[in-house]
Amino acid sequence: MPGIMFGSELMESIIALIMVSTFMVLGSKQLYTSVSAFQFQSLLLACIAGIVAFSTGRIDIYIVAFLTLIIKAILIPYLFVYVIKELKVKREVELFINISPSLLIGGVLVVISYYLVRSISNNSQLSSYALSTSMAMVLIGIFLMITRKKAISQMLGILIMENGLFLGAISLTYGMPLLVEVGIFFDILVGTLIMGVLIFRINRTFETIDTDRLTTLME
Amino acid sequence: MAFTHLFLGLVFTYLIGAALSLALHRNDRSVTYASFMSSFLASVFGIIFSLSVMYGDTFVINIPGSSILQFGVSIDKLSAFFILVISITSLAVSIYSIGYVTEYFGKKDVGYLGFLFNIFILSMILVVSVSNAVMFIIVWELMSIISYFLVIYEHEKSETRKAGLIYIIMTHVGTGFIILSFLVMASVAGSFNFESFKGIGGQLSPAFKDMAFLFALIGFGTKAGIVPLHIWLPYAHPAAPSNVSALMSGVMIKTAIYMMIRFFFEFLGVDTLWWGILLLLVASISSLLGVMYALMEHDIKRLLAYHSVENIGIILIGLSVSMIFMSARQPELAAFGLIAALYHLINHAMFKSLLFMGAGSIIFSTHTKDIESLGGLIKKMPWTAFFFLIGSMSISALPPFNGFVSEWLTFHAQLLSTNLSINLVTILVLGSGAALALTSALAAACFVKAFGISFLALPRTVPAENAKEVPNTMLAGMGILSFMCIVFGISAYYVVGILDSLSEPIVGIGIASNITNVFTIGTIPSFAGSISTTWIALLLILFMPLPIILFRSSLTSKYETWGCGQPRSTARNEYTATAFSKPIRKWLENIYRPHREIYTTYANSHFFKTSFKFESHIEDVFEQYLYNPFIELTLAISRSFRVIQTGSIHAYLAYIFAVLMILLISIITGGI
Repeated sequence: MPGIMFGSELMESIIALIMVSTFMVLGSKQLYTSVSAFQFQSLLLACIAGIVAFSTGRIDIYIVAFLTLIIKAILIPYLFVYVIKELKVKREVELFINISPSLLIGGVLVVISYYLVRSISNNSQLSSYALSTSMAMVLIGIFLMITRKKAISQMLGILIMENGLFLGAISLTYGMPLLVEVGIFFDILVGTLIMGVLIFRINRTFETIDTDRLTTLME
Repeated sequence: MAFTHLFLGLVFTYLIGAALSLALHRNDRSVTYASFMSSFLASVFGIIFSLSVMYGDTFVINIPGSSILQFGVSIDKLSAFFILVISITSLAVSIYSIGYVTEYFGKKDVGYLGFLFNIFILSMILVVSVSNAVMFIIVWELMSIISYFLVIYEHEKSETRKAGLIYIIMTHVGTGFIILSFLVMASVAGSFNFESFKGIGGQLSPAFKDMAFLFALIGFGTKAGIVPLHIWLPYAHPAAPSNVSALMSGVMIKTAIYMMIRFFFEFLGVDTLWWGILLLLVASISSLLGVMYALMEHDIKRLLAYHSVENIGIILIGLSVSMIFMSARQPELAAFGLIAALYHLINHAMFKSLLFMGAGSIIFSTHTKDIESLGGLIKKMPWTAFFFLIGSMSISALPPFNGFVSEWLTFHAQLLSTNLSINLVTILVLGSGAALALTSALAAACFVKAFGISFLALPRTVPAENAKEVPNTMLAGMGILSFMCIVFGISAYYVVGILDSLSEPIVGIGIASNITNVFTIGTIPSFAGSISTTWIALLLILFMPLPIILFRSSLTSKYETWGCGQPRSTARNEYTATAFSKPIRKWLENIYRPHREIYTTYANSHFFKTSFKFESHIEDVFEQYLYNPFIELTLAISRSFRVIQTGSIHAYLAYIFAVLMILLISIITGGI
């Protein structure tokens, strides 16, 4: 582990901020706020990738950082805002579990992931710190998908999961090979586009994007 | 090395036949010759190869591989015997097919049939050759799946698709049990090679040993068609093209018997008495019920399919009696039972394939499987009738044909149970002898019906009236097997000697010198009873002309049949198959549970009836009381699982989340 990277207070504080942004998504009542929180998170991820790139001096990680910035921090949030505006959905988040219990459960999930990481590896302080954050983000992402009614929130959940995986990958192994990384970015982008289109379709068919109403598809 | 070349030659000839069938499939006529001549040639190789192994030494090819997946071929005398059975049958069926498939010209892809046909025979040969359990499962599945495709060859008919479905489900259930049984043994043997399975019974704990036995019995029993696992036979055999049903019924189901012998005698070692008794019960019930249902069938191929159940039962009676003797430590008697089983096995392959080909010939020229609409075919198709008659006499166990010899041996094997020390078992075995006697009688009745109704008297329908003799190639195919039926009948003393050399390594003792003499076979202890089919045949030939010479001069006048006051007898006055089997239907009412219904429609008043409709059928007891409740139970359980299928995305995600959390927490607690 190069000292400049993981030893630095900078990395630790950025990872802490990422965790905070995750809780912002979890705790916000407004759709726009959660989208901005996600945007903020992606920005921070781009920063982390940048720092890793700087400390290792590898060009491919610079490219990854750049792509993160473009796709996750700009393009996808823009898409979200576009969908919300076009569909004129209610801007409030509708949920099965209210905000304050959600936050509590989120806290529990963080604790669980911390213990999990402790139990699978005992190595250096910071990498386990990053890993437990990334694990917590994955769990919170699923949790978001379960408890939010709107299809848009579910997209947000899956993107947070992806951010968590990205954080884990870049902090542990300096990211995956560039080709894979680029593949994942396109996957996410296309996935988001398709989900966006699907949401339009769901809206037209059911006149709502409340996925709770999709149970009629069961038969 | 000559062996290796022969074996590889036989494998490659089948492969070439398959490849040619695909390559030439655009031209019906040339593909027919290419594919069936290849299988013919390969069968000739097979016969030469198997005979040379049977008179020589065990033949082994080992292609090194990993410890699990080792493709090796090990052909001892038992395997060679099965290759011989497969090859003789496929030789005849290949010739027969050249004529038979002309029916499909222009309608179906004959190349596809030829391809499957070649691969199917090859897979059967590999099933009895491979020496590794994993390879065995692979070729066994290959055989099952290819035969499934052959069954659904005429897939445009909905009943064929249904038959295929039942077949593939049953055969996979069977394979599942076979795999379980192999796993039980491999867990102790530490390898999947058959070599390491030999005598594994000694190392298994009794419970595991019984488990391996039961799994193998169910698994191979499904393929063999023992009651109550037989339900696929009456569907699959009629649905398949007749040349294929000849192979499936004649040979494929025998591969299961092959593995049963290997499993019970070589791998597990028969030292548990109740195994033999259980198999004996199952076998007796199979033979009795098989023939009973056959008697009620009017679809000629279904009838033959039920007879396969019956004959598998008879083979297994021989095998189980042998197992009982084996566990009672009386290897001479065990050898006798095994010889009876093996003899009936090859006989059944001959006459059942012959009969299926005969049925195929009938269908070929009349396009009906219903014997009620046949009649008078002996005039139109004399050779087919002749061969079918030989097959019928063989299966009804009339001397001097082959069926007689093997049933005689089986009876004597059962009678030998008086040598057993446990009286109850003796009584049971003798009781099964009574069941076998009833079976043979009913089988004879059934073939009087099958032959009489379809070949004798007047044609009942127009297609039967216009029937023509089938092409020469088809007759040749049937002729070969008819000839084999007679050969295996009259040369019994010689065949028994060969079979003894097969059973000797299995039971550990040879008894040929005790039970064969010139032209005669006898029982143990030395010739308590004996019989010579050769002499019977000679006497028959000698005295056959006698009545003709003696009574030729006496006065016979030809006159038309007494017509009960009717102007003249027509086909409508004839005895029908339903009527023929009526006494037995009444007699065994409790088993058949026949239903009869008469529907009448009236015009205006009750005195003017416009039409009658009579309906009569018997119940499929096993489907109704065993399989249907099981299917319903499964469906009910499956339906109750739909509760968790809410259709809500959130619930599904929550399931994933819950499982994930459980796994994570288990890691944490394990880690802390």
